[in-house]
Amino acid sequence: MMKKFTQSILILFFITSWSIASAQTGDLLIKNATVITITDGTLENTDVLVRNGKISRIGSNLNTPNGVDQLDATGKFLMPGIIDAHSHIAGSSINEGTSQVTAEVSMEDVVDPFDVAIYRALAGGVTSIHLMHGSANVIGGRNETLKLRYGSTNPDDLRFEGAPRTIKFALGENPTRGGRARGIQPQSRMGVEAMLRNSFSEALIYKKEWEEFRATKGDRKTPPEYSLRMETLVDILNGDILVHCHSYRADEIYMLMKVFSDFGIEKLTFQHANEAYKVAPELAEFGASASIFSDWWAYKLEVYNSTAYNAAILTQNGVNTSINSDSGELIRHLFHEAAKSQKYGQLSDNEALAMITMNPAIQLGIDNRVGSIEVGKDADLAIFDNHPLSIYAIPLMTFIDGVKYFDKETDANDQRIYINPESDIEEVKILTADDHDRCMQDADFVDFYSLFNN
Amino acid sequence: MKQQREIIFRHSLLLLFLAFSINIYAQSDPTGQAPPTRTYAITNATIIQAPGKVIENGTLLISNGMIINVGTSVSIPDNAQEIDGTDLFIYPGFIDGMSYTGAKRPEAIQRPNNLFTPNPPNDYAGITPEQSVIDQIDVTDNSIENLRQLGFTVSHSVPYGRMLPGSGSIILLSEADHTDHLILKENYSMYTQFEGAPGAYPGNTLGIMAKWRNLFTNASYQRVYAQAYSKDPVGLNRPTQDRVVEAFYPIVAKEKSVFYNASSLLEAQRAIRLKKELNFNLTIGNLEEGWYLIDQIKETNTSVFMSLNLPDKPKNSDEDDKSEEIIELEKKRMDAYNRHLIQFREMKSQGVTFGFSTMGATSSKIKNNLLSIIEAGLSEDDALSALTIDAALLLGIESITGTLDVGKIGNAVVSTGPYFNKDSNVKMVFIDGNKYDLDTKESRTANGVSAEDEAVLIGSWSYSSNTPQGEQTGKMIIQKNDDVLSGIMSGNNGAPDSDMNNISFVNGNLSFDYAVEFGGQTLEIVIEGDILGTDFDGVASISQFNASWAITATKDNPDQN
Repeated sequence: MMKKFTQSILILFFITSWSIASAQTGDLLIKNATVITITDGTLENTDVLVRNGKISRIGSNLNTPNGVDQLDATGKFLMPGIIDAHSHIAGSSINEGTSQVTAEVSMEDVVDPFDVAIYRALAGGVTSIHLMHGSANVIGGRNETLKLRYGSTNPDDLRFEGAPRTIKFALGENPTRGGRARGIQPQSRMGVEAMLRNSFSEALIYKKEWEEFRATKGDRKTPPEYSLRMETLVDILNGDILVHCHSYRADEIYMLMKVFSDFGIEKLTFQHANEAYKVAPELAEFGASASIFSDWWAYKLEVYNSTAYNAAILTQNGVNTSINSDSGELIRHLFHEAAKSQKYGQLSDNEALAMITMNPAIQLGIDNRVGSIEVGKDADLAIFDNHPLSIYAIPLMTFIDGVKYFDKETDANDQRIYINPESDIEEVKILTADDHDRCMQDADFVDFYSLFNN
Repeated sequence: MKQQREIIFRHSLLLLFLAFSINIYAQSDPTGQAPPTRTYAITNATIIQAPGKVIENGTLLISNGMIINVGTSVSIPDNAQEIDGTDLFIYPGFIDGMSYTGAKRPEAIQRPNNLFTPNPPNDYAGITPEQSVIDQIDVTDNSIENLRQLGFTVSHSVPYGRMLPGSGSIILLSEADHTDHLILKENYSMYTQFEGAPGAYPGNTLGIMAKWRNLFTNASYQRVYAQAYSKDPVGLNRPTQDRVVEAFYPIVAKEKSVFYNASSLLEAQRAIRLKKELNFNLTIGNLEEGWYLIDQIKETNTSVFMSLNLPDKPKNSDEDDKSEEIIELEKKRMDAYNRHLIQFREMKSQGVTFGFSTMGATSSKIKNNLLSIIEAGLSEDDALSALTIDAALLLGIESITGTLDVGKIGNAVVSTGPYFNKDSNVKMVFIDGNKYDLDTKESRTANGVSAEDEAVLIGSWSYSSNTPQGEQTGKMIIQKNDDVLSGIMSGNNGAPDSDMNNISFVNGNLSFDYAVEFGGQTLEIVIEGDILGTDFDGVASISQFNASWAITATKDNPDQN
């Protein structure tokens, strides 16, 4: 018995030391790769030196400093780690859908470092995700930008330290479904707009109350009731939180830009935005971004008037556009998703790859750190055996802060970190239903019968 | 004349008063149950006064609720009941760090009409920190006796509910007529958990974390204002009276601890995250997965009670042609199980002081779980510390209990052998100086059930269960093969039969558990209740879901048995 325990301790020691390593930064020299920098073209036969997790030099025939591992990448393609601006992996809850404005909740509280989908995403060259709140309510919760440091058991180790706060909004059918099922606002797109305007107006009153309270000297003053919900809305009004809004139709996209103009809010990305192509010049004029699917639509009424040319039309109109997965499966091959924009719209290699690297980095406010291969940026990198836009491309290795988190050569069968001793062996599956359609998870408040028999 | 009458009147008043006072202090006992003395001397016993401090052939003297003397040369007063302690082992009474002991789950709250608002009614949302477990405690509840039979004398009992059910109190596990007689420390803690309101805000962890921050931060502002107002109210608006807000004042002031029901690794990390952000005294009351958290627990000065609820040992498939993959997966699953067991030793060796709690643990499994933990490397002394003095320290009651030191409350466990021996039994328990004789298992069969009790139990029972899915009926069949009790739960709904595990039947109280598959998940259902004649009246519960419902059964053809 004792021997068994000793063995398990050894195994645990291995896991623990790995988890400590995961929060660290690495040193590495990648030799002789085809380096797709995104911001500075594609460099043949080029070396990239990583020191303390940062890209320190890019050039040819770089010397290997003492104690730094060297990796021969001859014939291989090195690109910035892929960034998914819309994901629901690594979250143990997705919606606080019980009320229509829940700005106070935050996905940072429900990060699940044990989700094996994180490892699968790494195996697709993904290094960062935007873990989003669901779309069950008009103003959902704050999202969390993560680095996929799989192996750590502390959710905080996965946080993209220093990334700006972002929040989820939702327009159209998802929030109005809940409203109609419950007989409360919003039951229509008009109601959604009214809720947004009311929320911001309330936040302005709240802000004024607290400003007056703080301006009064001494302790003989009555504090207003504290509201984390209102605090968050005030931060949005102050421009401290980036808004990412679930949307499909051109009219609702245009509506939100009008509302934001009225309240002076500038930082806005439309998620999904299937009809964004209809208002592309307006988006460009506002300075709003779009994070879209490559070619997915027709799963509900508001998502019919769509086109696979959306990415190309937006890009050519000067709208910062990214391609996202919103799925634990699609996230494994976002490079294929980006490649579709070449078939539909003939975007350049660089334009296509920017949509899964630099452009989402800009949308998440982390473009000073990741999204391209530049000296001084984080060494979040992916190596492919072929050009990543080729249908034959296979991701070989994935690095975050210079530390290797995925290597196809040493890929083990079972990558779980946490195992429930009471689980059945048969439960181990490649993909579960959980990996799809998590946008409305925890918000199953309405079935089709009640939807149409109000 | 008038004067004389007045004197007589006064005298009769005095007489009346005397008569009353005699009645109060004489405490006539029409039941004949009261013991002739409350002075007990257990002689010639092995006394473990505190972990590691053993007195051989010693005497423990308890009188009127208190430990009066302990040692090898103790003079025994004339009025003492002397108990021969030869071959007996005496320990300090065990302390349970957090559980629902004695509490009755309140009736389900009706769904209100105005549910879909950002602020649904507090009672439905489960935000009732102003409430107290005292109002839920039923002195006749089985859980009190069940814990007492294991040697527990004190429990930190917390109320049922959702996010913020109310205050927990430290209670004695005595037999009592009134809840007040059990209370050791009233409204000692604020109990909280990740339990959302069905269909209302806060519905899950997201809303609960945010609501917690909001309640705490608001209370810290309002508290400052309430203090300013109480100092000098003139010219200030009267503070809003809100018992929920006020319940947070002692938390903000760190005068009261928050006890978190956070058994899993992620839940515990979330509780610690709140503590780090808001700065309050945190105790994780029922930690089951603590192995990755040792550093965080130490850094943040979080207190911990480790749950005595362990996972069931995995059963590897006994098929011969298992694939390599299955063998590997089974091995990893067994390692994960062992991970649970060795964490206790690791915590201790890395300097984490913990107690034990019984929340979620079936009482019939607790002793076996303790033995498994010791087998995995926690020393018996450390296990005893966690059951006694360390738990007392964490609950701030070390000056009145936790060891068998003179002057402390007369709480002690008397065992037929070393407690952590598989075959030893608790023979008697002293709580508050009162003696409780227990049915030792010597008279029982291999299952710990007496032959007389077996006759009551064995046979076929028709049950009816008010599950959340509606009423379910079926048969409970309990039998005995090779001196071992076994049973099956067989539903009338076509679901496969389930084997009963951990069947226990003591003093008319039946408990067992069984597993069902539901939505790809294995759920353990625990049944516990009383048999009176041919009727069983019990409660079924799934601790994973914090859900319970009534189950009743009647014995079929009792005459034939």
